[in-house]
Amino acid sequence: MITSEEVTFYIQNIPPAPAVVRQALDYARTGDLTKAAKCASEDPALRHYLKILVNRPLYGFKNEVSDVSQIFSILGVSATVQTLCNYLLSLLTPKKWELFTLTDHQFYDLQASLSKRWERILLHLTMNDKEIQSAITLVPATIIVCEALFASHKAEVMQLRSVKALDFNTILKRISGRDLFDLAAEIARTWEMSDKTIALIQNASGLRETLITEEKTVAQWMHLLLFYELSQSVYVSAGLNEFIDFQIDFVHDIYESFMQVMA
Amino acid sequence: MRAVVRGRIGVFHLQGFLDGNNAPSFLTIDDIKATEALNVDMLLVSLKKVIFFNKNGLDTFVRLLTNIRIQKHIVVGFCDYDHTKFKAINAFYGDELSFSLFKSEKIAELFVSSNKSDSKTVLLYNADHSQRSAMAIELFDYGHNPIIAQSLNEFEEKKQHLDLYYAVIEDTYLGYFGQKVATRVTGNAIIYTISNFLDAEISDTFNIAYHNNSLNVGFRLFIFDAYKVISMNVHALNFFTKLSSAAAEYNATICFVGLTFEKTPEAFKNDLEDAGMLFFATMDEILKNKELLSDLGGGGGATAKQHRALNKALINELPHFIDATVSTIAMMTNAEATKNAVKIQTLTVTDSADQVASSIGFYGDIDGLIILIFPRTIAKKACELLIGDIGISDEDILDSLAEFVNIIGGRTKVLLSENKKRLDITLPRTYVDIKTLLEIAQDKKGVQVDLSFEGQNFIFFLTR
Repeated sequence: MITSEEVTFYIQNIPPAPAVVRQALDYARTGDLTKAAKCASEDPALRHYLKILVNRPLYGFKNEVSDVSQIFSILGVSATVQTLCNYLLSLLTPKKWELFTLTDHQFYDLQASLSKRWERILLHLTMNDKEIQSAITLVPATIIVCEALFASHKAEVMQLRSVKALDFNTILKRISGRDLFDLAAEIARTWEMSDKTIALIQNASGLRETLITEEKTVAQWMHLLLFYELSQSVYVSAGLNEFIDFQIDFVHDIYESFMQVMA
Repeated sequence: MRAVVRGRIGVFHLQGFLDGNNAPSFLTIDDIKATEALNVDMLLVSLKKVIFFNKNGLDTFVRLLTNIRIQKHIVVGFCDYDHTKFKAINAFYGDELSFSLFKSEKIAELFVSSNKSDSKTVLLYNADHSQRSAMAIELFDYGHNPIIAQSLNEFEEKKQHLDLYYAVIEDTYLGYFGQKVATRVTGNAIIYTISNFLDAEISDTFNIAYHNNSLNVGFRLFIFDAYKVISMNVHALNFFTKLSSAAAEYNATICFVGLTFEKTPEAFKNDLEDAGMLFFATMDEILKNKELLSDLGGGGGATAKQHRALNKALINELPHFIDATVSTIAMMTNAEATKNAVKIQTLTVTDSADQVASSIGFYGDIDGLIILIFPRTIAKKACELLIGDIGISDEDILDSLAEFVNIIGGRTKVLLSENKKRLDITLPRTYVDIKTLLEIAQDKKGVQVDLSFEGQNFIFFLTR
């Protein structure tokens, strides 16, 4: 089974964010999309990612969009920041998904869908905080961490789960004292994201008990949105629906509003 | 998604949103095959973590459950829901509700056989009189003590004293039920409740796997509570005769209690007696007579006169059993268990204080019994991954120990299947102290492996 040492090793080996992406992110955060696009254009992999992502059906463009500055101006400041963060995270996706039956494109779709729906939610909540806007992009890091840590222990976990309904998050917490959201927060820390962003990611587990008004609201909506996405057929088939424990009581009081926003 | 099996119940734990689009994705063809192969008495879908569901979503699972109920004659349904969800399911299915609904998994457990012998007092209410009666009968047949509220007012009044009841049964519904012969454990005897007219169907409704499991884990007295039997035909007679012959191999005793011969031919009684069956007029004649109980094999399980010897086939597979045990401990604790000594002997425990034990039987190409005896601290450590480390009670440890030996049994099964050996495992059994275990196993010769883990010793014992 996974050991604390493996978890520590994983954290120590989280790669730093590439300089060009960091710079593009800095420009985008200040609202300078022209400079952000110029910077992003220097990275062919990022260019390719943006082109593929924006032309997926989810974005609904009739004609192919390929120019980075055009992409950023279509997306706007907030979505550009989210997209750059999504790209950063995509760099951590495994060469081959083994624990989850997922493809990279399905993972990118999940990222994009979370971002788009999060935008709608924040509009409903009238929250205009940039850190809250971009924090959602780090939540799928939990999936990447889970795949990285448990892929080689799949058979053992299956055996445990044949006698007890245990999710990966609980197993990891019991073994190492840290859960998948803590490790996603470690990724954010390595990428020099703010303390607020790091806290928002950790809170999305729905397991933090001492949250106050705004941070609790954000955590509830993030948690429910995550499960809304993970209940989509493609992610259920991939095995993502059961990788963490859904805290149904934690989100109960926002359920009605959530369904209205999603309708 | 695979069902989690605990005792005799398999449960699918769904999460999030369930509708017609995503429901089929929860079950691959392999999942369905694995579910069909489960050896359980009840198959349920937990709605505890489902925040939204619609009829199309439920229908996918209802289809699977119905197919399995028809094939295997087991109880199927949904569990773990609140009043709103209960009302929604009733509204969806109305009079066509053929599956069962249990408000919680804890309530569902009361309606299946288990290896535990404690009778639970439960408060029961259902506005539908026939449901109320059916539940009371089932609960009683499984050895529990249902307190039945006859009106909602009485129920609400009684519900004020929650501490008096193990569970309060409401918002529960029994669909097609009673297909299996109800089973309960009293001390070291197993009681099967049979009723009405017994014919060829008894071989479908009687859980032969459970019976064999019980023989394998050391039960030696089996009582058929036959007060409600009207009559039986020759097919049922043949069934009981065969059962009695099979039990003889284990030196087990099978008794009928309360069976009358007004409508059953007297000749059947002679045939059954020839096969080794005993007849008693009342249950108390056996259960309140300690001497007789002991003679029959229900006094502690130590009465097996013909010990089944260790054989070469079993010894040959010993490394697999030890590997499965050691690797399970390594998996659950990330620490190494080391083998100190291997001896063929009777079970020898030098220090029986503060030890807990568990056992699991297996049968198929080879048969036998694995026994594990742990100091309580080691048992707790071994089960921490399953139950966490906060506020663990002795009952939690014992329950997890059962799950722990289940994993060992599962691993052994996999290891042996690589050598083309087919194995089935029994329900695990746990012992809060090892006195009862020693009564069952102390005279049996087996392979005792002394293992140590984090400086403390524990015992692995393999016997037949």
